[in-house]
Amino acid sequence: MNNDHNVKLRLGNSELWGGLIGLALGGFVIWQGLKLKLGTINDPGSGYVLFYTGILMCVFAAAIIVSAVTEGGPTLASRWENARWTKPLLLIACLTAFSFALEPLGFLLSSIPLMLVLLRVIDPVRWTLAIPVAVLVPSGMWWVLKRLLLIQLPSGMFGIG
Amino acid sequence: MDTLANVAHGFGVALLPINLLYCFIGVFIGTLVGVLPGIGPISAMSLLLPVTLSGTPESGIIMMAGIYYGSMYGGSTTSILVNIPGEAASVVTCIDGHQMAKQGRAGPALGISAFGSFIAGTFALVALMLVAPKLAGIAIAFGPAEYFSLMVLGLVVLTFLTQGSMPKALLMACIGVVLGLIGLDSITAQPRLTFGRMELIDGIGLVPVVMGLFGVAEVLLNTEQVLKRDIINTKITQLLPNKADWQASAGPVARGTLLGFLLGILPGGGAVVASFASYALEKRLSKTPERFGHGAIEGVAGPESANNAAAGGAFIPLMTLGIPPNVVMALLLGAFVIHGLQPGPLLITQNPGLFWGIVASMYIGNLMLLVLNLPMIGMWVQLLKLPYNILFPLIILFTILGVYCSSNNVFDVYVMIAFGVIGYFMRKLGFEPAPLVLAFVLGPMMENNLRKSLILSQGDLWTFVQRPISATCLVFALVLLIAPLLPTLRRKRELVALDEGA
Amino acid sequence: MSRKILGKVFGTAMVAAGMLLSVAAHAQDYPTKPITLIVPWPAGGSTDISMRAIADSASKVLGQPIVIDNKAGGGGTVGPATMAAAAKPDGYTISQIPITVFRLPLMQEVSWDPAKDFTYIVHLTGYTFGVTTSAESQFKSWKDVIDFAKANPGKVTYATPGTGTSLHIGMEQIAAMSGIKLTQVPFKGGAETNAAVLGQHTMLQADSTGWRPLVDAGKLKLLMVWTGARSPNYPDVPTLKELGYPMVYDSPFGVAGPKGMDPKIVAKLHDAFKKAVEDPAVIATLAKYDMVPNYKNTEDYKKFVVEVTDSERKVIDTLGLAKK
Repeated sequence: MNNDHNVKLRLGNSELWGGLIGLALGGFVIWQGLKLKLGTINDPGSGYVLFYTGILMCVFAAAIIVSAVTEGGPTLASRWENARWTKPLLLIACLTAFSFALEPLGFLLSSIPLMLVLLRVIDPVRWTLAIPVAVLVPSGMWWVLKRLLLIQLPSGMFGIG
Repeated sequence: MDTLANVAHGFGVALLPINLLYCFIGVFIGTLVGVLPGIGPISAMSLLLPVTLSGTPESGIIMMAGIYYGSMYGGSTTSILVNIPGEAASVVTCIDGHQMAKQGRAGPALGISAFGSFIAGTFALVALMLVAPKLAGIAIAFGPAEYFSLMVLGLVVLTFLTQGSMPKALLMACIGVVLGLIGLDSITAQPRLTFGRMELIDGIGLVPVVMGLFGVAEVLLNTEQVLKRDIINTKITQLLPNKADWQASAGPVARGTLLGFLLGILPGGGAVVASFASYALEKRLSKTPERFGHGAIEGVAGPESANNAAAGGAFIPLMTLGIPPNVVMALLLGAFVIHGLQPGPLLITQNPGLFWGIVASMYIGNLMLLVLNLPMIGMWVQLLKLPYNILFPLIILFTILGVYCSSNNVFDVYVMIAFGVIGYFMRKLGFEPAPLVLAFVLGPMMENNLRKSLILSQGDLWTFVQRPISATCLVFALVLLIAPLLPTLRRKRELVALDEGA
Repeated sequence: MSRKILGKVFGTAMVAAGMLLSVAAHAQDYPTKPITLIVPWPAGGSTDISMRAIADSASKVLGQPIVIDNKAGGGGTVGPATMAAAAKPDGYTISQIPITVFRLPLMQEVSWDPAKDFTYIVHLTGYTFGVTTSAESQFKSWKDVIDFAKANPGKVTYATPGTGTSLHIGMEQIAAMSGIKLTQVPFKGGAETNAAVLGQHTMLQADSTGWRPLVDAGKLKLLMVWTGARSPNYPDVPTLKELGYPMVYDSPFGVAGPKGMDPKIVAKLHDAFKKAVEDPAVIATLAKYDMVPNYKNTEDYKKFVVEVTDSERKVIDTLGLAKK
């Protein structure tokens, strides 16, 4: 392992960050558990198991942090080395846009553009293939689900789909 | 030899052309919904429940049962091919099944799951015929304390699912438990961690979580590699398991079958626990546990047999006590009652034709599934030759549709996309999703049963040790936890270190 | 091939545009697509199966399928609460309304207001409740339970399908009247309570008639029923009144939609469900669970909701279960 990629108490230590996020989540769960009441041992309340799970989370997160500090861990940058990090980012953006469009536009109007963008973004498929695939597959699935299985898909404000 | 006469009578019913037809339709639909990610047997069976009203009770129930065990066959296909489990019971198949596919061994992986499922399904039926009434007791011997300890054992299995750091896996498991607890508390009817969102009152669905963490995250992870065409470029060498594969799989299939059948009788997460437990068992027994997670055929054969045997075992409490052990069986109970039949202790004596007919039809159905599935392996493997820049958008579309159809809820699509993004970053930071999923399923049951046991025992924690079944589960859990820590500790550490360095 | 599909898409777009223009005629056309009926109980239980039978019959009147959506949990409140919060009042999402929907708001903070958040459509039927024990149990009659509970306060455990269900409230009321203390263990639905009492994990089971096949087979003993008169299926089993508790518990239920539904749609649904509970096939299915149709029209149902809320408030106050 390259030493440049293995750092201990540094801001770039990815293990440290993972542990800290875990610790924060654990703290949050403990707080929620307390808010929901622990109850008694005879009749444990809604927050009983949450509280103790939160404590366990903090313990495990602390273990991760300790090993991150003592043994070191790969830097955040090295995790994304040699990776086309723009692609997943673009994909996440597309999916987010899709989730906002799904309800107002309906299934067909949102999934056909999504497919088209995905086909062109991941590794561009030539247009002559991308367009038929993007149009035919969602429409075909839509037809099978809606007509044969009678499953309702979101139709959106234009009522298409 | 009453049984033999009964079985003969049963086959007489099952072999009627109309019943054969319904059986075929059932297993065919089952395979289809099993292969399609997201759409599971539950949605298919609830949709088709009214259809069964028209025919005789036998044909209706034969079809419903066919959908159920048919989907168990189909479920492994997507796990192996694209790393998206069709349901919780095939999550564990992803781990080694998909690795096998990446190495060009999708055929043997699919083959062994079909054969394993057939063997397990057949065994479960024979057992169902011979010992059903005797085993009915197992289902009711499990009270809250026993369930709690069984769930603890299930969670300990986690430690065998991890390849990397143990604290990370355990942290993931805790997060899984917490996610599972979201929603209305069934004991006090209080909303937990819902943040005022009504959609969360019902809790987060398993399907969107699994589809996000496995399906979407997998796609995100793969797109960042420039030319990772390993699935496509690897030569597919064989379509069916060879002799060496069979030798490696014989033990796992046998053990998985037995384990699955016994755990399947239990109401609750029987099939899920069985598949995870079988994986853990095989990894523990293996002389080369380091192969697990890198395409070990045992890691496919065991769990796939286990979840099919569990599907057979699940019929026992329904047929003998009228107690449905899972939602699918509850739907089947509904089908019985719609036809004016009440499954229970009297069903077998009052309605022998029906009971034995259904059991015999399941045997025929299993055979049909094998015949249906083997030729399809070649077709599925061809699917892997699709260029990934077309395959990935299709996977995303199918997961979106699958998630939506399983609940008819747009919120679940958001949940899936969110978990896709979370899953991507988790994997980038070296956190694995499988422990989270297992804990997500088992956590809420463990919590609920812990609280019920404590109410029953009036706060006495000894109840878990004093009850023999519960104590046995806890002892097993303890052994599983401690055993690997002792002699092999150093060797395992080194292996893990090697993995990380590579 | 692709041209065909494109044509289809274009055609669909035209149809959709046409639909937009005809929004005004919506209530007349209703229903134009399948209706979702939320059943807030697990699939296969007595409520689920009777609602499926009713829905099946009603869907024939409406000419559209009614899809059952099982959203169990919270003693049958999760389903209606989800509907009240998330569903559009277009008549395509309706829910079975168990009595817990009125009761739970009295016991704790909840997200819905039974008086405001629903459009009540029609009242349908009620359950037969009973208390059972394992055939191997030491209890031969309800008197044995009382005697044992007096000697061992809090030791008698009973399984219910959830906190705040009629079974829970009823048992607590019985205990208060007899001067004994019982311990409730809330399960999820009848399948679980059956297994619990059969395996003797709890001493008693209080539930609707899911126990019937087990009682018939002699694996469970029925100690009492909570109906007004003795059940025709079990003429030897005493009612609550006969045992000295002046109460009847049958937890009546009906169907409602989210608030703000078009009265024309409500009328169409009401008529369809009214026909359904008059259908002999439905009556036969209900009889399997010892249920009798208890029809109330939309107006009567609304009045009934107010009455039930008042009487429940009194019971819950006396039992000390009211929210603080």
